[in-house]
This record gives sequence, structure tokens and C-alpha cells, in this order.
Amino acid sequence: MSSSDDDTLPGIPNVGKADLDTMVENERPDPREELADVEADTDLGVAMAEDAQRVARGELSGDDYWDRYDEAAADEFGEAYHETPNPAVDAGDQTISTETAESLSCAVGSMDTVSTEPAQVEGDDSGNGIGTGDQKWGMVIDLQKCVGCDSCTVACKSENRTPPGVSYNVVMEEEHGEFPNVTRTNVPRPCMQCDNPPCVQVCPVSATYKMDDGVVNIDYDRCIGCRYCIIACPYGARYFDFGENYDDEVDEAGELTSPEYGVDRGTREDGKSPIGNVRKCSFCTHRLERGEEPACVETCIGDARNMGDLDDPDSEVAQMADSSRAFQLKEAEGTDPNVYYLK
Amino acid sequence: MATQGSQFDFAPGFENTRLRIAWYAFISLLLAGGAYATYLRLTQGMASTNLTSIVPWGAWVAFYIYFVGLSAGAFLVSTLANVFEIGEMHRIDRDALFAAIISMAVALLFVWIDLGRMDRMYFPFIWRQLTSALSWEVHAYVAYIGILVTELYFSMRIDLARLANRLDGVRGKLYGLLALGRLDTGDPSQAFDQRWLKRVGIVGIPLAIFMVHGGTGVLFAVSKARPYWNSGLFPVIFIISALLSGTALVMVLYVLRTRLFDGESVDLDLLEQLAQLLMGFIIIDAALTAVEALIAFSSVHPHEVDTWLVVMFGEMSWSFWWFMIGFSWVFPMVMLTRRSWRRTPWVMVVAGLTAVIGIVAVRFNIVIPAQIIPVMEGLPHGSYFPTPVEWGTSIGIVGVGLLLYTVGAEVLPLTPFSEGDHE
Repeated sequence: MSSSDDDTLPGIPNVGKADLDTMVENERPDPREELADVEADTDLGVAMAEDAQRVARGELSGDDYWDRYDEAAADEFGEAYHETPNPAVDAGDQTISTETAESLSCAVGSMDTVSTEPAQVEGDDSGNGIGTGDQKWGMVIDLQKCVGCDSCTVACKSENRTPPGVSYNVVMEEEHGEFPNVTRTNVPRPCMQCDNPPCVQVCPVSATYKMDDGVVNIDYDRCIGCRYCIIACPYGARYFDFGENYDDEVDEAGELTSPEYGVDRGTREDGKSPIGNVRKCSFCTHRLERGEEPACVETCIGDARNMGDLDDPDSEVAQMADSSRAFQLKEAEGTDPNVYYLK
Repeated sequence: MATQGSQFDFAPGFENTRLRIAWYAFISLLLAGGAYATYLRLTQGMASTNLTSIVPWGAWVAFYIYFVGLSAGAFLVSTLANVFEIGEMHRIDRDALFAAIISMAVALLFVWIDLGRMDRMYFPFIWRQLTSALSWEVHAYVAYIGILVTELYFSMRIDLARLANRLDGVRGKLYGLLALGRLDTGDPSQAFDQRWLKRVGIVGIPLAIFMVHGGTGVLFAVSKARPYWNSGLFPVIFIISALLSGTALVMVLYVLRTRLFDGESVDLDLLEQLAQLLMGFIIIDAALTAVEALIAFSSVHPHEVDTWLVVMFGEMSWSFWWFMIGFSWVFPMVMLTRRSWRRTPWVMVVAGLTAVIGIVAVRFNIVIPAQIIPVMEGLPHGSYFPTPVEWGTSIGIVGVGLLLYTVGAEVLPLTPFSEGDHE
């Protein structure tokens, strides 16, 4: 323990620089030991690492470094080296000269361009597409916890970038009784993702259909915009995209769109789907697919919304959906929604 | 019209040239207005309408089911001659068939302009949905148009052949082409036409009743989210009101074309038959609608009762009382009560026209009110009146129908050349 610092704060260990350096040195793995575990040449690895530290300290130029090692690395790693972008090559922040960059054996472009390319899904067959999961997604909304703040509606609009007049989630406010015996219930209404969806039943081109994970999908590339599904939905959960924008409120509002149903459609433009199509809540399928909860569930301030697998009897949503407090909207319609409410 | 003799002349168009010019000028006006409105519709998209996600179906859908009904009604009137062989009706069967074809074309134009993605109008023929009434309907419409064209061909073929044989030059060739080269005017060929006219008509009757118009009613009736439509009687009323408007249209066309195009006098017995038919359909239509309303009110189902209250006392109740009750039932019924009026052509033209216009209100009162009361308490109420763009395009599409009909009536032998053609 060093006592050179006078203004020691209570409860905070007083550690000097030398101590820290020792700690780092103790933790640092032995390069030869580490590299012994991989197939590549240990000597080359150690030499490249030591020279890379020299580049970092400014004792060696990036150009010299790559002149020295490009060929050796290409020989050592072969095809893999040619396909991997070189971190020194970058459009915005390049640390080597153009000549050296062009002379390199790895020719796939900069890190920047490679990272923005769509990911190549290994073995992209039908078993791997969107909505093919084993679970049956369900939502349980606890009306006792809902305070009617509408933040789910706002989170939904911002997540799904929905245009004016399209709101996948709304909170219906119902007032009953007469003063002083008045009750008010807030009922959030996303798409019910019904097991027997009337919208799917009426679509003349099968543009809307149920996915294996229970979510009702809309194929914007097939929807003809006849709006029969809006007529058929007993929950008013479907909306027509009239092509309106928030351009007056936000500059370039249409620049960013949501990859609904896992499809990135780029900027919002006239005559391009989903304009002229019918839209609705997808349980944020694009978020579910990457292991996240829907935006409304994540944002709910009272934790009133729950998302999970209704097919898993041990899941929280399955247990809540089974409780005596649980009910569905318009049960008599026979649509069997996958959104449950707790009284 | 001269049908015999060496000096053969065939001029089925307007008798009065000034009237022809005035009529085409009127149609041009409709088309010009419609073209501009359609331009706005195409450039501004669906935002040019007053439709919303709460009222997604409006004037275009109402006009679409109206013209499907007009077509089905007119076709069924034609089968009185072609299938049921009621002698006097042969005079009007081509009128009825041709009007039915034009109405179908007009109806499909309304469907087309109503699509959010007009460029995808052929998709229903690529992808289908067995449980969708609309998917079935699209196919039924195509089959039905095929039936109508086949019927008109067999009904008119003998006269087309006569014209092709007697006229020279381009006109002769045109009629030969329309007769599909079957230029034999002998009795066996006529008997062949009659046989097939009847056979195709027999197939057409259930197609028109159950698939084309009944099916269009089913399209609405299956929607359990809208209790106002969700009844078994609903498609039946659809068919009856179609017969009402179809009979009225055929009656109007018969009188107008006989007087203005053929320059002949109206067959008063035939006129009275049509008038009696119209009277019958008005009574059935009004009675069934009353039954439907009675069931709705007796159910005390809030959504259903509220919707009927919107129809009867809402913002647009004038269209119910004046046009639905007045124009399609009461006014024509009054004009039909006296035998001497039923035998007065101009009175019947007025009666027919009021019914034809009144049924438009029936269609609007089917489509719109069911969307005014929200499907769930807490959702916003609907409100809808068509924009000028919606009216303009609708008028333009009707103009297209009028143009097609007039051009056809000026060229085709819609009036049989001689009595007993069909015997």
C-alpha cells in the first residue's frame, strides 16, 4: 500500500500505479503458451504481436509492418486470410497508405463495408426462417397494473416507425358507472394473434397467414390492399397505410424503417410497400427473433405486459393465462386470441 | 326496321342526330371529369379518399356491389326469355345481356380503383384462399362474364350472320367476325343457337344467384365482426334488390332504345309485364328488409341496434328515407299501382330510373353504416362521406359504362330482326 496520496477517500482502496502495473502483468497470459493452443505458427504470432505494439508506440509505421508480414500471414492462413478484412484498411480511418492497402493480399474491402453487409445465414433453409420457432408466443396484460400511460403505444410507434393513422397498439379507456361510483379500466389492445384469425380467413390472396410461432404475418409483397381483413377483424387491430408521413414533424422521418417480419425494406417511398397495404402489430417479430421482448412489453412502466411461450406450461405467461383472473377479448367470437388479460 | 328486301339498310343507332351529339357530349363531360379525378387518385394514392382504418370501405365498394347487382338482375331478366321461354321477353333479352356485361365491366373497374395496390390486381389469380369469399367471388365474376358473353353471342349470332351476308366491306367483315365465322342463317343453325342459349343460361342462373350476387352478399354476411351484415337473410336481400334494380334498368333501356334508337312504338304488353315484375320485386325487397330490421331490433344486440339507429336517424339518414325507402320502393310503387300508368312508357321510364337510383342508396346503406359503430367499446367512431375525387372517379367509371353501352347499341343488332327469332 502506497501512502503518497493524501486525499484518500474513505472506503476506496488506495492503489498506486506500480501496484496496478504488477496486477496487469500477473494477469497477462504468456503469449507462447496461448499460441501453442492454436494451429498457426507461434513464432510468427509472437513476432507480429511485438511489432504491432511497436506500431502502437509509433516506433514502426503501419506500412512497414504490413510490408513485413502480409506475405507471411497469407502463407500461414491461406484462404481465410484473403476473406478477412484487414483492420488497417478502413474508408474513414485508414492507418496505412493507399499503395500498401492495395498491395495487401486480403481483398474483401474495409471492416466498415463488410460489417454493414447482410449476414449470411448458414444453411438458410425453411427450418430457419422467421416465425418458425417451436414456441407459441403469447402476451398477458395485467389490467390491475396498467395505469393507462400509453407508453406502450408510444414505444410501439417508435419501434415500428408506423406512419400517422397507423397505431399497432392503442389503449382503450372505458368508464363505467355514475359519479361517485365510477370505475375506469384501461385496456391496451395490440393484435390478438388469434388462433382462428378472421383476417386470415378472408384474405383473397393469402397475404396474411399464421406462422408456426403463432404470430399472424402480413406479406407486404403480396397484399393487394383490398382491406377486407380490416373489415373482418373483430378487434379493430388492423390499419391501412395511406402513405402519410411525419415529415412535417421530423425531418427525413421516412429514412428509418423497422424490419417488420424480419424484412428490411429500406426508406419509406411512395408506391412502395407497405404503403397501400394493411398493417398491424407483429408482436415485434423482428425483436423476438433476436431474443428481445416486444417494445411495448419492455417499456411498460408498471410491468403489466408479459411475453412468453404459451406452449411451455412452466412459463410465466402460460401460468398467468391459466389463472382464474385470465380472460380474452370477445371470447364468444371463437377467435381464441393469444393475448390474455388479467382482471 | 327493314329486315327484308334488296335495299338493305341497318342503322341501329340514334334516330335523332342532334340527340346523339348531345348524348356523346354529355358522356365526354363525365369522362373528362373522371379522368382528372382518376389522375388525382393515381398520384395521391388512397390519401385522396375520405377512407380511414375505421371506415376502410366507402363509395367505390358501394358502387361495386351496386353494379354487380345490376348485372345479376339484368341477366336473370334475360333468362325469362332464354331459359323460361316467356315469348314477349325475347324482345329484351339482348338488351338485358348487353347491359349485364357492361355492368360487370363497370363493377370490376370499381374494384380495381379501390385497391391499395392497383398494380397487383391480378394477384388473386396467382394466390388464393379457399376460405375467402372474395377469392371465390373474383373467379365467379370471370366465369359469369364468360357466361354473359356466350349468351349474348348465341342470342345475337343469327342476326350478326344475316348482317355479315347482306352488308359489304368493313361492316360486313366486322359482323362476320363477331359471328365467329358461323354465317349459316338456316333453321338448323338457329336451333343450335337456341339449344345452347338455353343450356348456358341454365348454368348461368345458379352462378348469378348464388355465386355472383349471393356470393357478394356472403362476402359481407360472413363478417361476424359486423353484426349488421352477419345474418343469413342478408345475401337473399342482396339478390332481391339486384333483381329490383336489374328489372328497372331493363325496363328503362327497353323503352329508351325502342323510342330513340329504333324509332318504334313500345310493346305495351311487354312493358306491363316488366312493370308487374318490378312491382313484385319491390314488395319482396321491402318485406325482407323489414324482417331483417325486425330481427335486429328484437335481438337487442347493442351493435346491431346501434347500427340500425345510425341508418335510420344518423347523419346520413336522409339517404335511407329519401333514396332507399323513397326512390327504390315508394315512388316507383306509386307509379306502378295503376294499370294505365304501367302502360304509359314515360311514366315507367321515370319509375325505373328512380328505382335504379334508389338502389344506389341501398348499397351505400349496406356498406357504410356497419363501419360507423366501433367494433369494440373504447375505439373511435367512424365517419365517412366521399371526397370529390371519389365522386369524380365514380362518375367517370359510370361514364365509361355509358359509352360502352351506347357504342354497342349503335353497332350491334340488339333488337331482334324479326318476331319469333327465338321460336
